[in-house]
Amino acid sequence: MTDLVTLKIDGHEVSVPKGTLVLDAAAKLGIEIPIFCSHPKLDPVACCRMCLVEMSGPRGASLQPACAVPVAEGMEVNTQNENVRSTQEMMLGFILVNHPLDCPICDKGGECPLQDQTMRFGPGISQLVEPKRHKNKEHLISDTIVLDQERCVVCWRCIRYLQEWEDKPQLALFERGGETLIDIQHGQPVDAKTGGNIIDICPVGALTNRVARFNFRPWQIERTPSIDPHYSTGDNIRIDTRTHQIRRIVGRENMQVNDQWIADKTRFAYEWVNSDQRLQHPLVRKDGELVPASWSYALQYVVDRLKEISRKNGADAIGGIGSTKLSNESNYLFQRLMRQFIGTNNVDHRNGGDVAALATGLPALADIMKPQYGPNPKVDTIFLVGFDPSEELPILDIHLKRAVLRGGAKLIIAHPRQIELTRYKGPHLAYKPGSEVTMLNVLTKLAMSAGEKNDAELSKLLTGATQQALKDVCDVAVDEAKRAAELLAQSENALIIYGPMAADGPNGPQVINALTNLAMITGHYERLAYIGLDANSQGCRDMGVLPTKLPGHAELDDAEARARLEQLWGCTLPTEPGKTYKQMLDAAGGAIKALYVMGADPASERPDWAANLDKLDLLIVQDLFLTETAQLADVVLPALSWAESNGTFTNCERRVQRAPKALTNPHTKAAADWMILDHLASRLGANWPYADEKGVLHEITEAVPIYRGLTWEALGDQGLQWDAAQVRPTAEYRQAVQPEATASAEYPFALVTGTVSYDGGNMFALTKQMHNIAYGPIVGISPADADRLSVADATPVTVSSPYGALQVQVKISEQVKPGTVWIPESLPQSPVGALLNGSSAEYVKIEA
Amino acid sequence: MAFSDALRKELQEWMALYPEGRQRSAVLPCLYAIQRTYGYCSVESQNELGDMLGMTPAEVGAVVGYYHMINEEPKGDFHVEVCTNVPCMLRGANQCMHHLEEKLGIGHGQTTADGQFTLDHMECLGSCATAPMVQITEKATGKLRYFEELDSAEDVAKLLDLVKSGNAFHTQERWTPDADPNSEGVGAGPYRIGGMEERFLTARIGKPNSHQIDTYMADGGYETARRVLTEMAPEEVIEQVKASGLRGRGGAGFPTGVKWSFLPPTSPVRYLVVNADESEPGTFKDRAVMEYDPHQLIEGIILAAHAIKTDRAFVYIRGEYYFGYSRLWEAVRAAEAKGFLGENIFGIEGKNLKLVIHRGAGAYECGEETALLTSLEGGRGHPRLKPPFPANEGGGLYGRPTIVNNVESISNVPHIMRRGADWYKGFGTEKSPGMRIFCLSGNVKYPGLYELPHGVPLGELVYTHGGGTQLAEAAVKAICPGGLSMKLLTSDQMETQLDFEGVQAAGSLLGSAGIIVMDERASMVEVARRTVSFYREESCGKCTPCREGTTWLEKILIRVENGGGRLQDLELMEHLSKFIERRSFCPFGDASVWGMQSGLQKFRGEFIELIEQTNPSQIGPDIPIRPIYRPDTGQDSGLHTSTLPMVGESPLIRDKADVAADD
Repeated sequence: MTDLVTLKIDGHEVSVPKGTLVLDAAAKLGIEIPIFCSHPKLDPVACCRMCLVEMSGPRGASLQPACAVPVAEGMEVNTQNENVRSTQEMMLGFILVNHPLDCPICDKGGECPLQDQTMRFGPGISQLVEPKRHKNKEHLISDTIVLDQERCVVCWRCIRYLQEWEDKPQLALFERGGETLIDIQHGQPVDAKTGGNIIDICPVGALTNRVARFNFRPWQIERTPSIDPHYSTGDNIRIDTRTHQIRRIVGRENMQVNDQWIADKTRFAYEWVNSDQRLQHPLVRKDGELVPASWSYALQYVVDRLKEISRKNGADAIGGIGSTKLSNESNYLFQRLMRQFIGTNNVDHRNGGDVAALATGLPALADIMKPQYGPNPKVDTIFLVGFDPSEELPILDIHLKRAVLRGGAKLIIAHPRQIELTRYKGPHLAYKPGSEVTMLNVLTKLAMSAGEKNDAELSKLLTGATQQALKDVCDVAVDEAKRAAELLAQSENALIIYGPMAADGPNGPQVINALTNLAMITGHYERLAYIGLDANSQGCRDMGVLPTKLPGHAELDDAEARARLEQLWGCTLPTEPGKTYKQMLDAAGGAIKALYVMGADPASERPDWAANLDKLDLLIVQDLFLTETAQLADVVLPALSWAESNGTFTNCERRVQRAPKALTNPHTKAAADWMILDHLASRLGANWPYADEKGVLHEITEAVPIYRGLTWEALGDQGLQWDAAQVRPTAEYRQAVQPEATASAEYPFALVTGTVSYDGGNMFALTKQMHNIAYGPIVGISPADADRLSVADATPVTVSSPYGALQVQVKISEQVKPGTVWIPESLPQSPVGALLNGSSAEYVKIEA
Repeated sequence: MAFSDALRKELQEWMALYPEGRQRSAVLPCLYAIQRTYGYCSVESQNELGDMLGMTPAEVGAVVGYYHMINEEPKGDFHVEVCTNVPCMLRGANQCMHHLEEKLGIGHGQTTADGQFTLDHMECLGSCATAPMVQITEKATGKLRYFEELDSAEDVAKLLDLVKSGNAFHTQERWTPDADPNSEGVGAGPYRIGGMEERFLTARIGKPNSHQIDTYMADGGYETARRVLTEMAPEEVIEQVKASGLRGRGGAGFPTGVKWSFLPPTSPVRYLVVNADESEPGTFKDRAVMEYDPHQLIEGIILAAHAIKTDRAFVYIRGEYYFGYSRLWEAVRAAEAKGFLGENIFGIEGKNLKLVIHRGAGAYECGEETALLTSLEGGRGHPRLKPPFPANEGGGLYGRPTIVNNVESISNVPHIMRRGADWYKGFGTEKSPGMRIFCLSGNVKYPGLYELPHGVPLGELVYTHGGGTQLAEAAVKAICPGGLSMKLLTSDQMETQLDFEGVQAAGSLLGSAGIIVMDERASMVEVARRTVSFYREESCGKCTPCREGTTWLEKILIRVENGGGRLQDLELMEHLSKFIERRSFCPFGDASVWGMQSGLQKFRGEFIELIEQTNPSQIGPDIPIRPIYRPDTGQDSGLHTSTLPMVGESPLIRDKADVAADD
């Protein structure tokens, strides 16, 4: 792309790379050519004719669309002459002729390209004296997107987004000629999980946000650049607020992270922030009832009881649970409080110490995004293990689709379900949950022979990994595994991503060993990555909210780290490893007497945990809502959300990004996490030096070496990545042993869990416009098994394991493999944890 | 809904006609099969078809919405569609429509109470010499037949009796009242053919069984193909066609041999597509060739495929040409049986040619070559960006280099290869060599097809061959020389030579050689309105000026016709049309306004007279007030089955009351 082409636009010479569109060459000179259908992120279609300019050509000058014609050497372009200007005027005339001109009540009014261009390029007066054409003005194309077909200028941007990015052509042109309209097939709403992006790119007010509709005027809102609170991709957003309320969330461009796209849950599910169910003041249990209390009373109560329990039962009878949904600052202070004042390492979070994670995260999201902008993708093969991006991380999902469709990347999927991405026909290893180790060991062996790499040390570790075992233990076809092994062996830059589902419980350390062996022998060790799913899954680990790690992934016995932190905090750190999340909850009411739960809801996960929590001497819950856990608490401390306080979040590729305070709520007594913790600290006898969250971050940059220099100011609004090499474990082959499978005649079905985007959590469920697309309490069953069990969709059934039972409804799904059943986590009224005991692999039975 | 095994099998057979992985190309034939089975294509059936073809429901729905011959709602047992386009209008289409309305007791767009007849209008059906006419589709069989020359109320009554008697669909050959005195539904044979003493392209039309392979071979058919394929290299064929000077007969007149030589020499996969989507009003030549001499076309296809080195060819025929479509398939089967198509053709080892006849479904725009390719690929017939051109890598069918030629162009090839380039150049002019099938329609005594050398004067065609004007007392007023999209000529231009250069010099274009003659009785306002209406209805809707401009122009013209015109409307129309012309995505935009522009320029007096008579005070129309815009936001969408109950109130309580009051 170094070939330069020189041309003249309006008499000015400009040199641009070969292949550049005239539109972009003009922009380089600061010449604006008006557009509607053209969009920098979409392929040209040249249908709106707004960008017609005069270009010289072999047959003389003619009007050509600047959005579709590439520059040519010596070309002369005129964007200003009478012919061009009158054409622009008339094209706008044509566009406006049937446009309803209902700008006063149009959401787009004030930020509408059609308005702006009419002012700059349009005719001053309408020549129309005929009645306007009428179409549907409130047409739902999904539960969250409303289409006004009268405002639509048929630019195809929405159609092309769904086609080119989501690979889901669910919108199309219907009818023809003057009757042409954009529509869905009747009864088939848009269900793409990033479909809402078409609202952002609509150049008129045709597509509007059903949650935000009529709730804002663009000139009245305050705009705060922020970060998505749901997903670990850390998608960049803008929060629009007015009168202490979120009025709208839109996408914000960050070419290292999310391009300019955000997921629908990010865009639409924000009602919880302004919900009247939010906790407004501290609650303290009196005579069995939670009653409002003052902050000073509640905090002093917490301090007194903690001291008392610590005295009586020792520091290790107290535990703390942090949260991957909360900022680095909240989590850092939380573990500091537990370690400094309580003196325990009993501090963890959900999917924390129980999951065998790698600290390093993805190398860079941009490696996957690369293909859409250049011919040389950095990553040529992607191997997903126990991870379903389409449900779990929708923006990563569209990056992957682009990598496959435009970058030619190969996709290998190891997942018990036939997830959406299997449609690209890459190898699919549909293993039985719990058999990951065998599958990976066999794959390693196959990759060794495919890559003709013979490593005696590794071979010794793989003696049991036979093709027979692959069939018997994993129920995976050998041919698929061979295809996968060949791709991995041939690949120069493969990215291997595994999710929490694959590395949970006692299986985890073995899975990570097996993955390390595979990645090493195929030469991809530096690109082996664990991916957490929540907005701060990475940061929570970085901050040391782990029972066996200090901030910065330092071991508990790391002398240098201990010295640094002890000096900084002015205390002596506990040395005994703490209990993990599961261990603490299992021991609650037993060895654990008091728990401090910040931003987590373990009671909703498993009924036995709820029972345990009830037996505690002291349960402190710091949250936004009166969750199931909070209802069991002795003290409930009301906190502020990510939108109401400053914070930084670290995404799945270790990018630390700012989420500044976007609104205040003057009516609430709820307080920011850091302030609550700071006040507790002072009542516990210390004087922490923070003026605000930025001060906390400043301390983090000193306490955590990998965060050195990542101050609030340095992060800017695009964030900064920390260097993975500092925490990458040394590569060495390790034994990976397959744990015993537990299938039995009584419990024949292997249980598949995992997460879904539209679950039962407060952060989703409080947005009522999305209720219809939420998962209910369901169990996914393959058509074959449904047939055998004589159950149909929505049949109520009982799913039980030796540990518990759930009442759910059948959902027949082609994605589910016969012999397995699928119950996602966090569904309303169906905590899959009821069936589990320490790992996510379990066998269950189904009874109608 | 679940398709029956028989239907599923049929759909799979259609799918198998197209190259591996390109099965969505079969969407139109499959929709026809579904429509024949169920009477219409319900949304459920579309979705089920989408599953089979690998298309999303929206993609299938978009196709269904685009093509007028695919119905989402059931029509009557017999769907009667009256051609009301300009050539038919000139010969009494309006009266024909009125007779039908009277006899059936229903209006346009309605179905009789017993569900037997649905009445609609249709734009140009390629039967201009035999106007007025209707096309009737028999729902139970999907068969379609033309019923022509319905000049009187008696003719219409006779037609309806025939249809009711159940005898109307045993053949799909055109029917006329005169040729069927006993009401047995017999076919009328080809329409009027004339011209030079010795004709070539149309020589066999009218002979008994001219469509059968035996008669074609008896006349020396397929000998040229056999000789050329055995003896001549593809490059030599291209050279000979180049030397003949043959120019495309679809309208643009691009040299055929030159087009063939544009194919990138190294590309391994390439296609030949024959454009048989003859839809330009006033044009009906390809129809006659396909109906009565299909083997001439197939021999041309074999020669062209040899020249461009492809083993795969398609004929894209407009959906209304059901009879021609049936005859072409019959001819393909016969040629396959003789070993002229299929594998190792003419006994030449490794020489293959698979020919598929693909039926469109009622969309004029699909005559534009890139729109045709998009349609053939299974999409809506939208034109696509050029470059890449169809002959380029990435631009043709399935992204492969493709040659698109008109039926008449291809039909010339056997004659050129048989008799040589010099013989061919002996006809016509230097720049427009060869003979041409002129389609003469409108107010002449003998409308029909006349095969004449290029360069014949317009007057000779109209007076010598066409027998002069329809009525002695009504003189010629205007002539459309190349199909409805071309600019009008006037009666003082009868000396115009009918070749590419001659007509251009006269201020218009020869186009598809459809010559529509209008006499003094024709209202030029109505001609302009019907012309614009046609293009409004057929605009594909892709680009702004064509989509919005034609709609706007039509609204103005209807208002003028109905007595609400203002003189400033004439300027407005001129202004609008100037910005549709050369600003649209494809040449359709030009075509849509040239006729109206020239009518307005040359017959402005008629427009002014009408306006001054009907609206002397120049009063503008009342513009209706807009309805309330802001609908309720809080209602359940109804798009999904809810697994959670709705909670909370609408955020817009006050709007709820408004909307309720409005309801």
